[in-house]
Amino acid sequence: MKRLILKRLGLMLLMLLGLAVITFTVTNIAPGDPARLAAGPDASQEMVEQVRVARGFDRSLPVRFSLYLGQLARGDLGTSVYTGRPVAKDVAVFLPATVELVLFSIIIAVVLGVPLGVLAAVYQNRLPDHAIRFLSVSGVALPMFWLGLMLQWYLSLELGLFPLGGRLGIFDDVPPRITGMITFDAIFSGDHATAGTALKHMILPAVALSFPALAAIIRVNRAEMLEVLDRDYVVNARAQGIGPFRIIAIYALKNAILPTLAMIGLRFGWMLGGTVLVESVFDFPGIGLYAAKAAISSDFEPIMAVTLILGAAFMLINLLIDLTYALLDPRVRHQI
Amino acid sequence: MRFLKSTSALVLSMAATLGGPVGAVEKQDGQFWMVIGGRQPVSHVDPGQSYDYAVRMMTQSLYDGLVKYTGDPPVVEPWLATDWTTSDDGLVWTFNLAPEAMFNNGDPVTAEAVAYSYRRVLDMNEGVSWMLSDVLNGDNIQALDEHTVEFTLDRPYAPFLSFLPWWFVVNPAQVEAHVVDGDFGKAWMSENAAGSGPFTLERFDQGTAYWLKRNADYWKGFPYEADDMGGIIYRLIRETSSQRAALIAGEADMVTDLTPEELEIVGARDNIDVSSTPALTSFGLKMNTQGQHMSDINLRKAVAYAFDYDTFIQVYNGNATLQTSSFTDAVQGKVDIDMPRKDLEKAREYLAKSQWPDGGLTLEYVYVQGLEQQRQMGLALLNSLRELNIELEMVPLTWPNMVARSSDVNQSPDLMAIFTTPVSTDPDAVAIQYHPSSQGKYYASHFLEDAELINMIEQARKLSDWDERAPIYAEIQQRIVDLQPEIFGMMRQRMFAYQTYVKGYEDSPIRMTSEVDFYPLYIQP
Repeated sequence: MKRLILKRLGLMLLMLLGLAVITFTVTNIAPGDPARLAAGPDASQEMVEQVRVARGFDRSLPVRFSLYLGQLARGDLGTSVYTGRPVAKDVAVFLPATVELVLFSIIIAVVLGVPLGVLAAVYQNRLPDHAIRFLSVSGVALPMFWLGLMLQWYLSLELGLFPLGGRLGIFDDVPPRITGMITFDAIFSGDHATAGTALKHMILPAVALSFPALAAIIRVNRAEMLEVLDRDYVVNARAQGIGPFRIIAIYALKNAILPTLAMIGLRFGWMLGGTVLVESVFDFPGIGLYAAKAAISSDFEPIMAVTLILGAAFMLINLLIDLTYALLDPRVRHQI
Repeated sequence: MRFLKSTSALVLSMAATLGGPVGAVEKQDGQFWMVIGGRQPVSHVDPGQSYDYAVRMMTQSLYDGLVKYTGDPPVVEPWLATDWTTSDDGLVWTFNLAPEAMFNNGDPVTAEAVAYSYRRVLDMNEGVSWMLSDVLNGDNIQALDEHTVEFTLDRPYAPFLSFLPWWFVVNPAQVEAHVVDGDFGKAWMSENAAGSGPFTLERFDQGTAYWLKRNADYWKGFPYEADDMGGIIYRLIRETSSQRAALIAGEADMVTDLTPEELEIVGARDNIDVSSTPALTSFGLKMNTQGQHMSDINLRKAVAYAFDYDTFIQVYNGNATLQTSSFTDAVQGKVDIDMPRKDLEKAREYLAKSQWPDGGLTLEYVYVQGLEQQRQMGLALLNSLRELNIELEMVPLTWPNMVARSSDVNQSPDLMAIFTTPVSTDPDAVAIQYHPSSQGKYYASHFLEDAELINMIEQARKLSDWDERAPIYAEIQQRIVDLQPEIFGMMRQRMFAYQTYVKGYEDSPIRMTSEVDFYPLYIQP
């Protein structure tokens, strides 16, 4: 097991290097003059050249790439050309917000998706199955931002049940920073009122973001459960008079959950990189908006940083899922 | 993204129609805090670094300049400087400072502080430095006494005063205490203020909100009596539909970026006021006068006469005015010129004189990706040009790509949709856009080079007597129109929506499209 983890971590480093090469090349061969953008629209040519030299844009791509790698090795994510702000400082603010949002979304998707998938399989082709399948098809078909806008319009604007957006009310005190995730920071600081407010702000964006993942989890779990419920050992368990709840929850679900687990891992990774629309609708200051703004502005160091961080997160999540596979399934464990 | 915007508009139209809760303004700890929703994050609050409208809103609230732009038409008003004199040759400018002016930490604002602030920007060579770096050397700024500062220019430069409102005075003691490795204090100044302005920086929550606390002891006082005005919160609300929702729900007191359609809807509510006033900003379709096609002036004229100018007004629901000169209305010395308007007969006459008498060519129109109004203008142009047997290829690009193409004469497209906001009302600020020294900047994608025009521009900027300058600028405006380096477009209105309890809003066309002067604003329920 230890050898597998080390091997996978080594591979991860190689993949990250590959990702860095591709992103760096694509970002730098795209049209646009970063020096001109950094100097400002009215800047004189002399000011533009000053920026070009100061930021190293006058050097060749290989030289710039090696300098960038050296900078990364020192833990320096660089500076935004457009805003002049250190990337690490911005990422430290925006990334925890997105991680928090994605965590809540995945919790909603799993807590609702797994039982609904089981329910649909158990009541195959009956009313509960039809209703749940309608929900899961909607989850795939409904654009996330549209759902977000609808939730915002009805639950916030019409009924006033939830705030329109943001992470906290404008006049709420932010809890002392521990993780950067406000709900957790508030809980750790014993400030339950702020934790409640943060949760209230989190619900609508998390529901909107969770919907596609919820739909996917329901569909995969339903399909797997249908297959497992027909297996001999389930029939045998029934014949032995074991109660239906025990059969479903212990014997069937344990075997059906593995593909769902893989789906959860994949969705978590996708969500991390796909929050921009929800963040935009709910004014949630996360990494998605930050990355989108950087991409539109051809701001290469923030783009590099976000790509590498999200890439690493995606790889780590997949490693964790594989390890969980091994823990749950002895056949996988023995293959390692 | 366009679908997102139209869906947002639809959903929030429903919301506005159905009503919804109306926010009541509440005090926080006995003070009113006004929440202003805008789309542009504030990247820093250093008046020496790069600027955009969000940075400028913050810096002019935290700092004072020697002078300030106010009113409509915009005038340069004394601020830190009570008065000034100019030498007969236009080289020496002497400013007397208000003796009561104080930095927000209690230090006096001195002539040395003024000289230090100007030298800092010139040495950094960033941000507003371009405005004066050609005519002013840091060594030629002298503090004559504690309250008198003298600038000696390298050559006469009439627009000098018109740029000074954007040069802010910093407290040298505070800046010097935070200089690290010769960085001019930039790192510290990014999120801290060392000014004498009407506000102090209370909080800087990047990506969320920026808090400006009203300095009740501001040396210049406030134009209102409301002592319970605590300050302004500039809150990021990125989607226009969310801005509208926030305004309706009372989560924002003023918003800066609603579309004309949204403004109409919120403006119909009793508790919301809407302001729509002309801007200094012009919009035009710049033509590359050195390009393969548009170097032919007859083709440029043909295109200009074929265009349906009503489109400019229609896409903004009437919240725009057609340009009646190559200069916009608020520019000093603007005169009315007989501008090209849709006239197909004339267009065909000019086309017949061009290298393409029967048309049969394809022009490239480049616009900002995602800007629906610019796309609609392109469609109108496409329609108009078909009548001349000219095809139009519409190319949406991101802003960095547009800037890149506009800076290279070989890549600059036949037509490019460009908004331009001059930073000064001096006519030189517009005229210089048609001088070769502007080439490389996005607004000079026309690459116009005309010896007669260049001479006039260079002559006028050296004169200090307005009576001598005015007729030259009248000729310059006519010459630019004659050369037709662009389809001269329109002046879009600056539009804001705010709760009726928001008082004191003052517009000035000099400000950028979404820029608000926070100083006179207060809340009176």
